[in-house]
Amino acid sequence: MSDPTVSNLTTHTLDNGLTLVGEVIPHARAAAFQFLLPAGAVTEPGGKLGLSSMLENMVYRGAGALDSHELSDALDSLGLQRGGGADLETTSFGGSLLAEDLPEALSLYADILLRPHLPEDQLASARTIALHRLEALEDNPSQKLFVHLQDAYFAGPHGRSSLGTPEGIEAVTAVDLRADHAERYKPAGAIFGVAGRFDFDAVVAKVKDLFGEWTGGAPALPVPMPRAEGQYLHLPKETASQEQIGVAYPQVAPDDPAYYNATMAVQVLSSGMGSRLFMEVREKRGLVYSVFASNRAVRGAGLVLAYAGTTPERSQETLDVLIGELKRLVEGVTEEEVERARVGLLSSLVMQGESTGARVGSICRDQFLRGRVRTLDEIRAEVERVTPESIQAYLEAHPPKEFTVVTLGPTALEVRA
Amino acid sequence: MNYPRTTLDNGLEIIGEQNPDAKSVALGFFVRTGSRDETPAIAGVSHFLEHMVFKGNADWTPDKVNLEFDRIGAKYNAQTSDEATVYYGAVLPERQERLLGLFGSLMRPSLRSDDFDTEKKVILEEIALYLDNPGFTLIDKAQEWFFGEHPLGQSVLGTDQSITDLTRDQMMEYFTLRYAPNNIKLVLTGAFDWDAAVRQAETLTRDWEPQRTPRVLTEPEPRPAVRVEKTDKYNRAHLCWMTAGLAEQDPGRYAADVAAYAVGARRGSRLYWALTEPGIADSAWFDHWSKDGGGIYVGYASCDPTRSQEVADLLREALQTAKADGLTEAEVNGSRRKIAAGRTLHGETPLGRLMSVGSDWLYRHEVNSLDEEIERTLAVTVEDANDALAALKTDAALLAGLGPIEALR
Repeated sequence: MSDPTVSNLTTHTLDNGLTLVGEVIPHARAAAFQFLLPAGAVTEPGGKLGLSSMLENMVYRGAGALDSHELSDALDSLGLQRGGGADLETTSFGGSLLAEDLPEALSLYADILLRPHLPEDQLASARTIALHRLEALEDNPSQKLFVHLQDAYFAGPHGRSSLGTPEGIEAVTAVDLRADHAERYKPAGAIFGVAGRFDFDAVVAKVKDLFGEWTGGAPALPVPMPRAEGQYLHLPKETASQEQIGVAYPQVAPDDPAYYNATMAVQVLSSGMGSRLFMEVREKRGLVYSVFASNRAVRGAGLVLAYAGTTPERSQETLDVLIGELKRLVEGVTEEEVERARVGLLSSLVMQGESTGARVGSICRDQFLRGRVRTLDEIRAEVERVTPESIQAYLEAHPPKEFTVVTLGPTALEVRA
Repeated sequence: MNYPRTTLDNGLEIIGEQNPDAKSVALGFFVRTGSRDETPAIAGVSHFLEHMVFKGNADWTPDKVNLEFDRIGAKYNAQTSDEATVYYGAVLPERQERLLGLFGSLMRPSLRSDDFDTEKKVILEEIALYLDNPGFTLIDKAQEWFFGEHPLGQSVLGTDQSITDLTRDQMMEYFTLRYAPNNIKLVLTGAFDWDAAVRQAETLTRDWEPQRTPRVLTEPEPRPAVRVEKTDKYNRAHLCWMTAGLAEQDPGRYAADVAAYAVGARRGSRLYWALTEPGIADSAWFDHWSKDGGGIYVGYASCDPTRSQEVADLLREALQTAKADGLTEAEVNGSRRKIAAGRTLHGETPLGRLMSVGSDWLYRHEVNSLDEEIERTLAVTVEDANDALAALKTDAALLAGLGPIEALR
């Protein structure tokens, strides 16, 4: 069944449950595509954390008629700018390339997803790479902070990271990889997205031809479970120049009717350099170079992540001001702030429409989180409905509180909530 | 595409790449100044000044500046390198006038003392932030070690000391000389209104005074060496290899880019197969960076500290082998096509094109369309790429290490 909607968006679901979403971008020369499989860290077997990333690494090591090197050369010869990787709830594959090379790339990805060799003699390399990524995390303090913040915020599998654990990575065997591929790389619930210059009917025919025989569905995702109460965790790192500060607190899920009020409240905090966090923390006090708050969503839950990085002498003040601004939201936002947030959001949406890579990421994510792709007109209408009063009503029902705070650096701080 | 251009009486050049099909307008002021134009006493002033520009002037208070950018929904920023300071932004076409009006006014900042003191703290935070990033820190140090006293050895951020010591008057003196209209280009891309932009720029820059703003392009004297800075601040060993490359003005840079990408793209390259794919290094890449009147080839890898010598040896061996035996047609083709696709994607948005058009004009006083750029990339032959590698000065290279390692050979 084909259900064309307004604008340049089209969706189509194959009999095996693979959903195709496409957005034609007039005048584009490129096409960006993505396969999004609901196979991320949350559905890994408990003792094998890190399996998703290892499997994603291994499927490129030979597939169909091509060995590892030949496959890499074939992708390169198409000029493919490869993207993707394992994430918390999903693993993605794809990239961007000149539009005329799209059909050839899809054939290669049919081999990668359906017929990977998973060569046993390459497992040691894949394992070493996975272990190295964990070691390298130590040299990337802000990334490490967010890994721990997610773990502190969620109880259960959503606290995991796709980086896995040393024990989990060591435990993965060649048999596990085969079994995992057979179980989780499945069409039902998976998404294929494409944006740029392409003919949707031709793409549907090609995908049907290449993936039509694929059957089955991956295990369902667990329900995200935020911890009931906020907590504070300090990760000591004596040698760091800056203290990393991360704060997480709940907000409504992306499919909740109040979602746009929630997201606009975060825009008031952090949509641009005129918004509250940047003005109060950086401009007025010079406490940081980087400070922000952002919406993060998993399927069925939303949260706000806030961040600041500062030198240790000023870290307590920075945390105090940051939390103070989060709590102050409930005292009300002005019409002027809402108008700025609205303009920023809508104008970045229009500009995002110029980039094939940004659009394919966006439509696949919409389909994954909401089960459908929103049009620009729908988002515009929703955003225009948001008023200071509607945000206020949302914030009164869901005041920012129960902060989960993680700091990484030389000094432990005090959370004065 | 249209390529209008004009020069105002004060020497300000305006150049555009007009694309009526675009959904946005991007525009930027490209100032031909950066850390290479500083003396050691004012190290970091270009970058600090870039921050201070956003603090405004008599017409624009700092708060008003930030609010106005947000009110027009601008996607905007600024960046400072060793040789250029660029202020850029994109808006929907109906807001072109407000974006140009704001940026145009900001290019004449007051540099108020209280703003200067507050922003100094932000700069010191930015320095601290990058100290926690070993890859960035090492490449910065490597350029300092490789270029020595040559201006290209100067760090963009400066040091804690140089920033702490810097005064507002020193900055104003630097500003007056370097931000003269004849040292700045105004560049527009996307769906802009050319006549309106030129008229507005004339009014905005009427009082800007031309200056003599020379940049002396002295030949760098690279210092090949092996240097290690041991520190327990980082967990992994970080390695950098550097040698002389081609200038922005050298047409051979297309071949150098293709060759470097074949040797060191993050996937599918010689270094990928030698170091990354087998899990010997966490990451490894090799690239070619053109600069004004010179350039560098840069290689980087991070790895387990116990394997740092092995990784350094494998990296150099991969370069030597590529230089001695040459690249294959398949390697060069893959490299060409990936670069061409990358340029295409980068050029999808007016903001992406702005950077290419601006640097074309800044360095070469010419503008190449995206098609021309792609054509030149695809025209690089195996012979061209191998000639570029044959000229690679592997015996005049720097090998630098940073992390918990004692020494390298």
